[in-house]
Amino acid sequence: MKDLIRVRSLISAEIEAVLNQQIKKEAYSSSIYLSMASWCDRNGFDGSADYFFKQAEEERHHQMKLYKYVLDMGGTAISPEITNIKIEYNSFREVFEDALDQEVAITQSFKNIAAKCHKEQDFVTMEFLNWFLKEQREEEYKARRALELFEVIGEEGTGRWQIDKHVGSIKYDSEA
Amino acid sequence: MIETGSASSSLTEVFHTKHGSVQQCDKSHQWLIEFAGKSAKFDYRCLLKLKKAVYSIDIERALLDTAAVPDVEIIFLCACEHCYVLSVAEVIALKELLQGTFVMLELNHLITDCLNRLVY
Repeated sequence: MKDLIRVRSLISAEIEAVLNQQIKKEAYSSSIYLSMASWCDRNGFDGSADYFFKQAEEERHHQMKLYKYVLDMGGTAISPEITNIKIEYNSFREVFEDALDQEVAITQSFKNIAAKCHKEQDFVTMEFLNWFLKEQREEEYKARRALELFEVIGEEGTGRWQIDKHVGSIKYDSEA
Repeated sequence: MIETGSASSSLTEVFHTKHGSVQQCDKSHQWLIEFAGKSAKFDYRCLLKLKKAVYSIDIERALLDTAAVPDVEIIFLCACEHCYVLSVAEVIALKELLQGTFVMLELNHLITDCLNRLVY
């Protein structure tokens, strides 16, 4: 008997399901970053607003990369419904705390998918995921560095203005 | 898995229960479901849609529901020519048939995967 499901799709139903969940998480991330950009813009933090607009675009790019992969492998990519996006933040610092939490959650999620790929011996998807795992190093680094600016510069006086000016210049250029 | 029928039909039984059976046609890449007095052919996408539709039926709610409404579930699949109108007992039977089918398809995949690795 032919393995017809394998003929139709390179990835298993379980891997397809977790990749679709990840597509939703990336879409949620993108929306959250847009909301952060909106809050920063409304409160006069132009540098941070630009930073979060770029982050939102990056997350959208990640979402599309996953979306295309599921389709290319013969699966069904599901366009997600995104709700419950936080609009208001209590402070400038809280925005960056939430951003780091978001990146940590995304890294954890990719680790879970990688664990499933190892369990199923799906080395093709594992190889695809390597790009995201490396990307998460940069994403977490930038979010952590941004939050550290609050400790290094301090929020007193013109501190928040300076933090806002420096956020855009955070770069991750490790070759490791 | 039992090879049935003539060479031209090339149907292979995937799973059966006392209520129905599922057979696979390697040539047309379809599955023939014999259930509730009808035979219906499903391609891969429609089979997955049927599985999703049946699995999403809340059987417990249907059994406990005392409202004076007809005790039937209509399974209608988008872009698929087949439709089922089933009682709760039939839904349970179809779910059992599909669960067994997908276990057997998964088992077939695991065995094929292992054999392919030995060959290539």
